[in-house]
Amino acid sequence: MIHLKNIEKVYRTSTIETLALNNINLDIQKGEFVSIMGPSGCGKSTLLNVMGLLDEPSKGTVELDGQPVTQYRDKELARLRNQKIGFIFQSFHLINDLSVLDNVEIPLLYRSTNGKPRQEYAKEALTKVGLGNRMKHFPKQLSGGQKQRVAIARAIVGNPDIILADEPTGNLDSGMGNEIMNILQQLNDEGATIVMVTHDEQMAKRTHRLVRLFDGTQVL
Amino acid sequence: MIPHLFKLIWNKKKSHALLIVEIWASFLVLFGLATLIVINVGNYREPLGFTYENVWAIGLRNNQDTVSIADKQQRILQRLKAYPEVESVSRMSGNFPFSANQMNNGIEYNKRKAHPDFYVTDEDFAKVLDIPMTAGSWYRNVDSVGKYKPIVINKKLKEALFSDENPLGKVLSDKFRVVGVVDKFKAKGEFMSDKPAIFELVKVNETWNDTMLMRVKPGTDAVFEAKIVKDIASMVTGWSVEVDYLADSRKNQHNLVLVPVIIALVVCTFLLINVALGLFGVLNLSIAKRRGEIGLRRAMGATGSGISTQFIGEIWVLATFAMLIGLLFAIQFPLLNVFDVKAGVYVTAIIIAVLIIYAIVTLCALFPSRQAALIQPAVALHEE
Ligand SMILES: Nc1ncnc2c1ncn2[C@@H]1O[C@H](COP(=O)(O)OP(=O)(O)O)[C@@H](O)[C@H]1O
Ligand SMILES: [Mg+2]
Repeated sequence: MIHLKNIEKVYRTSTIETLALNNINLDIQKGEFVSIMGPSGCGKSTLLNVMGLLDEPSKGTVELDGQPVTQYRDKELARLRNQKIGFIFQSFHLINDLSVLDNVEIPLLYRSTNGKPRQEYAKEALTKVGLGNRMKHFPKQLSGGQKQRVAIARAIVGNPDIILADEPTGNLDSGMGNEIMNILQQLNDEGATIVMVTHDEQMAKRTHRLVRLFDGTQVL
Repeated sequence: MIPHLFKLIWNKKKSHALLIVEIWASFLVLFGLATLIVINVGNYREPLGFTYENVWAIGLRNNQDTVSIADKQQRILQRLKAYPEVESVSRMSGNFPFSANQMNNGIEYNKRKAHPDFYVTDEDFAKVLDIPMTAGSWYRNVDSVGKYKPIVINKKLKEALFSDENPLGKVLSDKFRVVGVVDKFKAKGEFMSDKPAIFELVKVNETWNDTMLMRVKPGTDAVFEAKIVKDIASMVTGWSVEVDYLADSRKNQHNLVLVPVIIALVVCTFLLINVALGLFGVLNLSIAKRRGEIGLRRAMGATGSGISTQFIGEIWVLATFAMLIGLLFAIQFPLLNVFDVKAGVYVTAIIIAVLIIYAIVTLCALFPSRQAALIQPAVALHEE
C-alpha cells in the first residue's frame, strides 16, 4: 500500500540543518493498523507528512499502490491526497466558521461531488462516529472528543484507503481517547489501513505493529 | 465550491462587516461619480446645435445715459454691420451662448406645460450662429402681426408640448405663435443637456436686450476688437463696451463642468486607494491567521492554485454581498426618477461601478492569495 525506501528528510534554515528522517524503510500493508512512537521531535510528524504526500522527502522514494509519486506535480499529489488519504491531527484543525456538517463535506468539495450526495455522505460519516445529532453545531460548541470525532468523519467521508492520524488522542483525556481509539479500530476492522502516531503505550498495544523512531532513525 | 464560500463568508459576516461597509460605500461613491461622468459624456456626444468660432458677443451698457437708447442701439447695430470684417450681427438678450446668464419661464399648450429657456433675439440670430432649421423658418420682423409674438422652438420643447403634432402656426400661452423649429440649442456648451428652448423676436424698444452677437471673418483679431470698442465709445459717450469671444467663453463653461468632476475624480481615487490598501492589509492578515485552514485544505486535496482561487473567490463573494446592498440604494434613483436622468444612464453607471469594484478587489487579493498558495501545508499544519 505505502512503500518508503531510503527516506531522508533534511530541514535547512539559514543557521541550522536538521536531519528529521534518516534512511527510513517502511512498508505498510493493506488493512494494517500501524502505530509510530518516539520522543518529541524525533520525526514522527515528518514521517506521516511524507507518507501523506504533504511533504517531499529530501532523498528516497515514496510509492503508493506500487506507483512512485516522487515525480508527481502539485495537481496529481492533491488528487491522491483527496482520494486515497484521510488525515487526522492532534489539534483537530476544524474550521470554526463552518458547521460540523460543512466541515465534514470539505474533502468532497475538492472532487466533483454534487451538493446533495455530498451532504448525504457527510451525514453518513457523522452518524458513523456517533455525531448524527450534532450536524448543525459549530466546532466551538463541541468537546475535544467530539471535535476529534468530527475530524475522523471528515477523514473517512471520501472513503480513503489510508488514514493517517498524528497523535489523534494527544489532546484528549483517557476516556475520550479510548472512544477515538475504538472508532479507529472499528474503521480498521472494516478494512481501512491506518497509520497512527501516539505517545500512549496502551494505544500502541491495540495496533498490529509498532514502529519506533529515535532522532529520525527507525529503531524498531 | 461557490455555495461553500457563501456559507463561509456568511458565517463570518460580523468580522467582515467593516470591509462590507467599505466596499458598499466605495460602490455608492463610484456609482455617483460614474453617473455624473456618463451623463456628461452623453451630453458631450450630442451636438451643440450652432457654431461659435469667430463669433463675438459685444455687451453694451448705457449706464447713466437714458436718452433715445433704442435709437442708439440701432445705430450701433448698423455701424457693426457696415465693417468689412463683419459677416453678420444680431441683437439679443444677455443670455448669449456660453454666458453665465440664464432666463426661463413657464409655458403651456393644450394643458401641457414646459419650462423652457428663453432667448430674445432678432431675425439674424440663426444666421450669425449658423443654426439649421428642421421645420418652418426663423422669424422675420414682418411676422410680428396681431397679438402673437413669433417664436422658434427647439425639438426638445416640441416633443414636450406637441409630441407628434405639427407645431407650426400653433399658439402657446395665448402669447406666442410658432413659426419654426430648430434641432438643438445647448447654450452652455457641449456638457449641457439638451433642454427645451424658445427663441422670441426682440422688439426695438426692448432696450435691455443689449448684447450684439457678431460673426466676424476668420482671422479677425484683437486689433479689430480695439477698433470697434473705440468706434462705439465715440458714437455713444458714457456707455461701456465689453467683448467676449464665444470660443473663450465656451472654455470657461467647460471648466465650470469639468473642474468639479475632476475634483470628485481625485477625491474618489484617493478614497479607493485607501479602501484598496485597507483591503490588502486585511487580506494579508486573514491569510496569516488562516494558515492552519490552508494547510488543512491542502491535506484534504486542494491544490495551491485552488487555495488562491478560494481567497479571490471569497473576496468576490464579499464584494458581491456589499454591492447587492449598494444596489438596493442605487436602484432607487431610476425607480424614483429623482433627477430626471434616463434609467439607461444609471444602469451604465452601475455596470461601471460593479466592474471597477471587482477589478479593485481582485487586484488587492492577487498578491495575498498567491502568498496563500505558496504556504507549505506540512509547515502550516505543524504550527498550532
Ligand atoms: N518546517 C520545519 N523546518 C525546520 N525544522 C523542522 C520543520 N518541521 C520539523 N522540523 C524539525 O524536524 C524534527 C522532527 O520534527 P517532527 O517530525 O515534528 O517531530 P515529532 O512529530 O516527532 O515531534 C524536529 O527537530 C523539528 O524541529
Ligand atoms: Mg508531531
